[in-house]
Amino acid sequence: MKYSIQAAMAALAAASALGMTMGQGIAAEAVQADANAKVDYQGTLSVLTKFGAQQLAPYLVGVAQHYEKLHPGVKIELIQESDDSVKDKTKTLVASNSLPDIYFSWTGSWGGNFVRGHRAVDLTTVIGPDTEWGKTLTPAAVQAFMYNGKYYGIPLYLDAKFMGYNKQAFAKLGLSAPKTFEELLSSCETIRKSSMTPISFGNKEAWPAIHYVGQLLAYDVPQAVLEKDFNPSTAQYSDPGYVAALSQYKQLIDSCTDGGASVNGTSYSSAIQTFSNTKSAMYYQEIIEFDQSASADSALKVSDLGFFTLPAPKGAKGDVKAIEGAPEGYMISSASKNIPLAIDFMKFVTSKQNGQVLSASPYGQPSATIGGASESNMNPSVVAGLKEIASASYLMPWLDTVNPPRVASAWLSSLQALTGGSMTPEQVMEQVKQAAASSK
Amino acid sequence: MTVMAASGRTARPTFGSALAKAFLYSFLICLGIVVLYPLVWMALNGFKDNGQIFGDPFALPSRWTWGNYVQAWNRGVRDYLASSLLVTVASAICTVLISAWTAYGLTRTPMPGKPLIVGLVLGGLMLSPTVALIPLVRMLQAIGLYNTYWALIILYTAFRIPFSTFLIRAYMLGLPKDLDEAARIDGASEGQIFWRIILPLCQPIIISCIILHVLFAWNEYLFAMVFTNGSAVQTLPVGLTSLMSKNGTNYGVVFAAMTISALPIVLLFFAAQRYFIRGLSEGIGK
Amino acid sequence: MANSGLARMEGAALSNAAGEPAAKAGRPFRHWSSLRWVAVAVILVGWFVYYPIVDNFIVSTTDEDIFTGETTNIGLANYERLLHDPVVWVALWNNTLYALISIIFQVGGAFVLAALIEGLGSERQRRFWRAIYFIPSAISITITGLLFYFIYQPDIGLLNAGLRRIGLEQLIQPWLGSEHTAIYAIIAMSQWQGFGYSTLLFAIAIQKIPRDLYDAAVMDGAGPLRRLWSVTLPLTREMTGLMIIVTITGAFQVFNEVMVMTAGGPNNRSQVLGTWLYQQGFIQNNFGYGAAIAAVIFAVTMITGAAQLWYTRRRRIEL
Repeated sequence: MKYSIQAAMAALAAASALGMTMGQGIAAEAVQADANAKVDYQGTLSVLTKFGAQQLAPYLVGVAQHYEKLHPGVKIELIQESDDSVKDKTKTLVASNSLPDIYFSWTGSWGGNFVRGHRAVDLTTVIGPDTEWGKTLTPAAVQAFMYNGKYYGIPLYLDAKFMGYNKQAFAKLGLSAPKTFEELLSSCETIRKSSMTPISFGNKEAWPAIHYVGQLLAYDVPQAVLEKDFNPSTAQYSDPGYVAALSQYKQLIDSCTDGGASVNGTSYSSAIQTFSNTKSAMYYQEIIEFDQSASADSALKVSDLGFFTLPAPKGAKGDVKAIEGAPEGYMISSASKNIPLAIDFMKFVTSKQNGQVLSASPYGQPSATIGGASESNMNPSVVAGLKEIASASYLMPWLDTVNPPRVASAWLSSLQALTGGSMTPEQVMEQVKQAAASSK
Repeated sequence: MTVMAASGRTARPTFGSALAKAFLYSFLICLGIVVLYPLVWMALNGFKDNGQIFGDPFALPSRWTWGNYVQAWNRGVRDYLASSLLVTVASAICTVLISAWTAYGLTRTPMPGKPLIVGLVLGGLMLSPTVALIPLVRMLQAIGLYNTYWALIILYTAFRIPFSTFLIRAYMLGLPKDLDEAARIDGASEGQIFWRIILPLCQPIIISCIILHVLFAWNEYLFAMVFTNGSAVQTLPVGLTSLMSKNGTNYGVVFAAMTISALPIVLLFFAAQRYFIRGLSEGIGK
Repeated sequence: MANSGLARMEGAALSNAAGEPAAKAGRPFRHWSSLRWVAVAVILVGWFVYYPIVDNFIVSTTDEDIFTGETTNIGLANYERLLHDPVVWVALWNNTLYALISIIFQVGGAFVLAALIEGLGSERQRRFWRAIYFIPSAISITITGLLFYFIYQPDIGLLNAGLRRIGLEQLIQPWLGSEHTAIYAIIAMSQWQGFGYSTLLFAIAIQKIPRDLYDAAVMDGAGPLRRLWSVTLPLTREMTGLMIIVTITGAFQVFNEVMVMTAGGPNNRSQVLGTWLYQQGFIQNNFGYGAAIAAVIFAVTMITGAAQLWYTRRRRIEL
């Protein structure tokens, strides 16, 4: 943090010393968890969560209270952020070297940041696939937090994208859940004739398009190629599957939605509302949104909500049994004063019993713990969705969290352009390639 | 008073001038509708449920219940309002006191390098907050003020001192010197002269400054968005956008929240309109 | 950042500061202790207003990774990247568009409107219209931005429904969703929000014109348009000049409304310098590059600021 110009400006900036204290206190090397460490049930643990939304906030509050009751010497401090704010909050805490003991992380490049900066504890010895704790968790979920062959994350729940549909509207038109992508397109034609919007789709926020494209890419591009391309140093983006997937996406925009520009001008929340008001026949959503689409108060009845995985195109070259989705979880700060206690708390959070609470309504977040979902008190669609996730051969990560920021941003803006019709699939790939090249 | 009135007084009302008048008024009224209707629509939508909002946008609410307004209030608007109030009031007091204090020093006391200091303080008017944004983030993180009320109070104060000082200084320059000269001869200290004589005399400009500051601080978005991120310290403009993302599907509540946030400042404007215009008039000078 | 109207007023204030007699209190003796009166202001302004702007230039020559805490000095590379970043040029153009359209409506339009209002018979009426048109300026631009976001919505929006009702279906658009209309839709909102403020400022300037000048013009047989052209316009010229400059400065600092309504989308077509700075610095973790964009904003505002000072100095000499 030394600048040559700094000296010259010292007089002007007498107070600058205060602004220059960052960049210290980071572990120079990765910290490894000690599997045999004795837990000292004393002190305070701070936790940065992503459950700030009103409906989710009580979950960890309850778990923390329970843990505090079991271990009276421990105090849990929750910093609850929403889906929107957690990214900024995390960056702030990182920049000021005040990451809490336990913090939320996505998989992919987001989590990779903490690994690269040596800010996450290497948990291989406690959560690796062969460990006692690791065996209680869905293997694919643990795997998703693997970096350089080591395990850094504690998966809490699973998320994946499905096409929700209005069963009643489909039945009325004599349609059933489409089996292929082509069938989906022709169903859209039929639905459109009934003057209903086939798929309500809002892409004002730019990430909803990424979710469609991510799933199509998993179908059209072989997994090995995708993973190689996620890494900027090996990325090529030369597989023909990319352009194929983007062309399919464009077809879907043209046949199934209200038109690209309209899609770009509508927010995703407005689109889910259209579906929930039965003004559209389908809405592509995350499993954790099922409860928002259909509830006791909405025009769309819970019993009328069906779902299917976005059907794969005929002759797809990739993995047709892949589902787009990713676990989300937590990491432990390498600067934590009490790593064994933090691990112990997270073991408690991911217990079967707490997992079942998380999976059930009102939370509806499918637990990553094996057996952490009890069908009796869950929304049946969520139960069925979980089974689909369990049988998926590959979990395709979200393009905007798996890629480095510049590449993610290229996907976001050029997919908006593709949606609106101002770029061709080839041009989109050109943008992505350029961004990847400059991220090396 | 000027253009049209002058013509009205001298020329006879003819068909042409009547027509012009009719045109003028219909134009003013149409423009008034364009200005007010969106705001009325916003308030009315606060009474509607989603089904109605997705229906005919021109329809009146089918029932007049305060449900959305109550929900908006309980889902965060109350806290945002409290934060806004705290930040606005605290920064208004700091800004006005510091500025008056500075203006007094600049107009009533001898000091070395005065033109330099005048230039330094008033030159701050030309600097844009956007340009300072990134360094400020790092600075406030380093001194531990990030995500606190203090961050906003200090920044609002620092960025508004140049403007308020300018206004108060211009006013003080116009005050006669005899009063404080007399007090000085009577043995009053500088502090006493400031608090007992000059400050009370500056009351009109102080009020204008407060109104202008409130208008600024209540509506400020960039700093509030970047320097706070927990709902506990978020002010209304930022809180509203996060309310929108958390309750994105319940539009009635969002409209109600927007209406509640807009109302205090519109009411304040009407209540203090006269001072406000006077403040502007004095600010522009000549 | 501020309400555009407020910014406009500050500009007017600044020009005054420049013209004031500066050395009025120059006394033969000097007291260092008097500095206590200005110390707080000087420290606050120096620390939080001036220093960050200096620091911004330092940051703009670095590349920082917040996760590893490493900072490397990369010289002018960020500025070079600026030149090759197509979005920067889109943003610059959008800011320019903002300035041009705002000059037409918030300077030209507001001037005419103020003259019309000030020509009304009773003071009560004048006050009424000024207040009505001012209301949107008192409301946070975040709120008006959100409101117009809804007004422009394709499905629930007021604008498309209104067009349909008056039979102009062919004009119906997804206003914020289309790459061609998004920035115009945002600018239109900003005109709606800000014209009342400039009207008020012009009204105040017009009120300060001595009445007898109009009487003399009437004697000479000048009609209303003629009086507007040869009395009102020249005598509010200083105000008009200032408004133009301040409007330009304001247009290059636009942030709120774009952030709230489109966040720069679709496909970065409605990006302005302020939002691109935010996107780069805070979303893409690229403080250095964000600081370089900030330097562009600084350059533009400094140039217009200098123009403002030059303009008022020159005017004063002429008068």
